[in-house]
Amino acid sequence: MTTTLEAAPTVAAPSAPTSIKTADYVNPIIQSTRDVFEMMLGCVPKRTGLMRKQDAKMPRDISGVIGISGKTRGTIVLCFPKASALEALHRMIGTVATDIDDDVCDAVGELTNMIAGAAKAQMAHLELSISLPNIVCGEDHVVRFPATSVGSIEPFCVLFDSDLGPFMIEVAFA
Amino acid sequence: MKVLLVDDSGTMRAIQKRCLNKLGIEDICDADDGVTALRLFEATAFDVVLTDWNMPNMDGLQLLKEIRQRNADIPVIMITTEAERNRVMEAIQAGVSDYLVKPFTTDGLRDKLEKWIPVRI
Repeated sequence: MTTTLEAAPTVAAPSAPTSIKTADYVNPIIQSTRDVFEMMLGCVPKRTGLMRKQDAKMPRDISGVIGISGKTRGTIVLCFPKASALEALHRMIGTVATDIDDDVCDAVGELTNMIAGAAKAQMAHLELSISLPNIVCGEDHVVRFPATSVGSIEPFCVLFDSDLGPFMIEVAFA
Repeated sequence: MKVLLVDDSGTMRAIQKRCLNKLGIEDICDADDGVTALRLFEATAFDVVLTDWNMPNMDGLQLLKEIRQRNADIPVIMITTEAERNRVMEAIQAGVSDYLVKPFTTDGLRDKLEKWIPVRI
C-alpha cells in the first residue's frame, strides 16, 4: 500500500508502518533535510510522498548510507538520481561534474552526514551516535536493511522534489 | 593570518575555504584527518585551527587534546554535526575555543572567527 501526502510541516505516521515512534523520528529527519538543503544548497525541498520502501519508485544512481546506534538503532539513506547529485555538488562548491566521481560521492556523503547529525540532535533523549557515511553507486542499486541492523521494522521512504531535482530518503529504526 | 583547516570531506574543506576567502583569508593549509593535521601543526605556526570532529585515524577531539598539550592559547574552533550538549561539553572540557554546528552559513563562520581573529567583513 502506498501513502502519498501533500507537503506539510509535520507528518502523521504513515498507514504502514503505523506507529507513533515512526513519526517521532521521521519528523526530525524531514526537518533536518530541509535545514541542510536550505543552508548548504540554497533550496527548500518539498516533500512529495511518504511510503513503504518496497513501494517507492524513483531512479537512483548514488546513495549515502549512515548507521545509527544508541538507545535505538537504524539506518538513514539519502538517494539521488545522477542529475540531482551532480547539481548538489555544483551548488555546494561550484564544481561541474559530468558523471558520478569522487567529488560527487564526497558531497553526497557530507549531505547525508549533516542530515543524520541534525536529526540526531533533535532526538537527544535517545543518545544516538552516527557512523561515518558510506556511498553506494550504480544505476537503480538497492540498499537493503537487514533484520540484524533494524530489527523487524519495515523501512520507509520520504520522497522530495527540489530545485536540484527529485531525491529520496530511506529510513528504518529498530 | 594562517588557518589550519581539518575535515575528512573534501567538499566541506572546499566550502570552508570559500567562506574563508570571502572573509579575506587566503593563507589556508588543510588536512583530511587529525594525524596529518597534527603533523602540519607541529611544523607550522598557525593563527587558528578549524576542525571537524568525526574523522578517520584521529578525530577532532583527540586532535584538540594533542594541540592543547602543545599550545594552550591558539584558537581551535570545532565545526561539526555533533550538536548535543554532552558532546559540546566534552569539547569544552578538552579546551575548544568555540563551536559551530553543521550545516552553517558564511555569516555563522564569520561570527565565530571574529571573536578570535581579525577578519575583513
